[in-house]
Amino acid sequence: MPTTLPPAPAAHDVQDGATAAPALALRNVTRVFGAHTALDGVDLEIAGGEVHCVLGENGAGKSTLCNIVFGSMPPTSGQVLLGGERFAPASPADALARGVAMVHQHFSLVPTLTVEENMLLGRGVRRLRPDRAGLAARLAAIAETLGLRVDLDARAEDLSVGARQRVEIVKALLDDPRILLLDEPTAVLGPEEVDSLLATCRRVAAAGTAVVLVTHKLGEVMRVGDRATVLRGGRVAGSGPLARDDAPDRPGGLGAADLVGLMVGRDASSLDPVLAASVGVVGQGPAPQGRQEAARTADRTVAQTSVRDTTDGRDAGTPPVLVVSGLCVDDADGARRVDDVDLAVRPGEIVGIAGVEGNGQSELVAALSGALRPSRGTVRLGGTDITGAGPRRRTALGLGVVPEDRHHEGVVTGLSVTTNLLLGRLRRFRRFGLLDRRAMQASAADLARRFDVRTASLDAPVSSLSGGNQQKAVLARELSLDPLRCVVAAQPTRGLDLGAVDDVVGHLRAAASAGVGVLVVSSELSELLVLCDRVHVAYRGGLRGPVPTDAPDARDRVAHLMTGAAA
Amino acid sequence: MTAPTSAPGAAADVVAGSPGRDAPADTGRPPGAQRSGAPTTAWRDRLLDARPVLVPVAAVLGALGVSTGLAALAGATPVEAATALWEGMVGTPYAIGSSLNVAAVLLLVATGFLVAHRAGLVNVGGEGQIAVGAVAATAVGTTLPPAVPAAVALPLLLLAAAFGGAAWASIAAWLAVRRGVSEVITTLLLNFVGVAVLVLSIHEEALLRQPVTSSETLPQSSPLVDSAHLPLLGLPDSPATTAVVLALAGAVAGSLVLRRTATGVRLAAVGMSRPAALRLGLPVDRLRFSALTTAGAASGVAGGVLVASVPYVLDEGLASGYGFSGLVVGLLARGSFTAAVGIATALGFLVSGGINLQLAAGVPASITQIAESLIILGVAGTAIWTVRRTARPTRTRPWRPWRRPATPDRTGTEATS
Repeated sequence: MPTTLPPAPAAHDVQDGATAAPALALRNVTRVFGAHTALDGVDLEIAGGEVHCVLGENGAGKSTLCNIVFGSMPPTSGQVLLGGERFAPASPADALARGVAMVHQHFSLVPTLTVEENMLLGRGVRRLRPDRAGLAARLAAIAETLGLRVDLDARAEDLSVGARQRVEIVKALLDDPRILLLDEPTAVLGPEEVDSLLATCRRVAAAGTAVVLVTHKLGEVMRVGDRATVLRGGRVAGSGPLARDDAPDRPGGLGAADLVGLMVGRDASSLDPVLAASVGVVGQGPAPQGRQEAARTADRTVAQTSVRDTTDGRDAGTPPVLVVSGLCVDDADGARRVDDVDLAVRPGEIVGIAGVEGNGQSELVAALSGALRPSRGTVRLGGTDITGAGPRRRTALGLGVVPEDRHHEGVVTGLSVTTNLLLGRLRRFRRFGLLDRRAMQASAADLARRFDVRTASLDAPVSSLSGGNQQKAVLARELSLDPLRCVVAAQPTRGLDLGAVDDVVGHLRAAASAGVGVLVVSSELSELLVLCDRVHVAYRGGLRGPVPTDAPDARDRVAHLMTGAAA
Repeated sequence: MTAPTSAPGAAADVVAGSPGRDAPADTGRPPGAQRSGAPTTAWRDRLLDARPVLVPVAAVLGALGVSTGLAALAGATPVEAATALWEGMVGTPYAIGSSLNVAAVLLLVATGFLVAHRAGLVNVGGEGQIAVGAVAATAVGTTLPPAVPAAVALPLLLLAAAFGGAAWASIAAWLAVRRGVSEVITTLLLNFVGVAVLVLSIHEEALLRQPVTSSETLPQSSPLVDSAHLPLLGLPDSPATTAVVLALAGAVAGSLVLRRTATGVRLAAVGMSRPAALRLGLPVDRLRFSALTTAGAASGVAGGVLVASVPYVLDEGLASGYGFSGLVVGLLARGSFTAAVGIATALGFLVSGGINLQLAAGVPASITQIAESLIILGVAGTAIWTVRRTARPTRTRPWRPWRRPATPDRTGTEATS
């Protein structure tokens, strides 16, 4: 790491870069973790001045690739070349000094420091005073060439998520890197912030830096990418220039459908619409046949429950199963997190709550699941007031909850799959005071089969399962409640690969078509629009809407509400 | 591939759970444990798989080596010291018997520790719980009429001891559950109070002190009634008492509850993830409270056992480190009752061997204490090497030519724009 700030960018020559060695090249890179091969002979070339998208489902090897390039771990075999020279960074600091910068998915700013202090952190450690003047000059240069401006005196914790990310990007650009790695940068952003980020990516690339965008969202890729490399199971499934909407002069490029095909290894047209929406192929609301498709999916997966006609349960005349009225939740500091929320979910109905994270959704779910006590208002489940009830009573009354934080609340990762599936109902498996292992095994095996939880052994700890299978285990536990009247699912598809999203969505739909009221809280607007009947929008603790998703302009109306505008 | 951590099966080990905790009852063996490596690395693999045994043994040997050196400084030749230690450990039936008695007390404390630890609670309060348990046991044992048969008196005494220890632990448990105070702090501090309660009760005639007849009357309780004495096991020339059986039964019961009952599974769930346990409607507060009070009860019984053994009186030196040694046994056992039995036995033998080291070889008591501490530190400190590290691989640096940035304009010495 340089001890002071480098000079203003010498605006890498793009023309030269095209003929010279690529900014970054991976040659036959393999990384093995024990018996698992995370990267298998990956070849990759990234030129200066391009936005190169690295796509892949979870577990495809994207993070391992980033970690190798950023010096967090060495490759098991293979070579990394930076500007034609061999590159084997021993640490992230080493990588930074060589011109590789990375913006992590989770921000690394110290919340209580100002932006300026955050930027000076870690540099100039051998000098008595931080180089404020050098920083200001460098920031001015960045503002001029890239149009990226940050408020130096603001405290990091006071900034919005988008602004914080901008600070991270500017911080990464301070050393004038040759390569900027962005790991899932849009995961926490609202629609407008995503637009602004993508524009930034283009500008940074235009200044000559190679931008590597690691993501699983195709919509973004198609909007900014020059080239894309798709990873699947640790191998390069395909790569090439992209056919961008605004650059029709590249007819041979990869289109969105091609990329989906490469990512999941099957034809895009065979995908469930929710699935397609989750990767950003379908940008608009559901087509009429989308709903039919959905119903079909539900039928396919509903084998375990009696199927009712999907339209029956959604009749407006049916009394709602979950009624929330005037609900307010205050946090420990007395700040109001959920503000006067009214909500009703009828049997067989799927209601969505959209919104940028941090607008009270987590607290609302906590109040519904019994983890937080509301300060005002009531929650009624099937006519019973459960406002002050504990989780056990809610479960007994038929409320299933799929928690937002799977590792923290959803499962006990150290315990076996069997135990996790049956933890809430161990009482049933007692025989002479001891647990009846055989009955537990049988019951768990049955659940795992019905919900397609794939595991080497039901005795293996849940932590050995993939994220998708962990989530399916949570669903198996919550959806197999007896009775089951309502399911509250918070961010049920977060961090899951496409196949798992398919399964999770299928199970939620199956529950709805069996007459269960389903409430889905998600920040993935496209998914909600396809999955739900109505979508509310959480904004500053309150709920806006609802917007019926079969309205033609549903997406625009919901996006409008997310900015805080009135309905 | 040069790092030893890249050996096959390493990732599977990580998946199998954290090294500090035994896999819970029903998870079985780590999925990768039996996977065999490539033929060329098989011998190394086997060596690596044997690490859980090799590393502690090496640590013990190292600690004994250092201690022998210290003993030599004190004037005892290594042969003398080793002979004295061995004699004291297993040389006579008497030595074996008293070693087993020590081991039983340690095992009782460790059993309680393991129960609380399963619920995620660390009971550092064995010392205080032993003291209060012993006071309660003495109160019963000295006041019972001599006519009461042993079959009634002994259970009563042990019950009182368990109740005393549990009551003492319940203070910390209540603070932890209701007020969120760390039980590590409260149980530790309550040790001092607990020992003070013991000291107070044997200094006050109104409490448990034996009637003061002269200025030479020691500050200790009157002897327990005969029927409240723990019977000997009946081995020839051996002072081993039924406490050994009691401790083993306790360990078996603890193991059974933790591994085979719903309560055990719930405790494990609470210990691993309180939010998830709450979400599932488990009575988290009740489970944590009862786990810590159970630990207190086990330590209290240990105190009762100490009082009900020779010399059948309560005196100031009663607890004298059993609480902390039991804690060490529990920590080293890492969730396994089988390991706890083994470690308690080893430590018990070492303690009585150390006593003989003082008596026979003239080695100062402090050196035997240093030896014990070194062994414990060695085993605990090298525990990390018994598991394969894979979370963060050892970085291999075959060459590192870039001490400075590669491009000349990145030397970073100039700060002008």
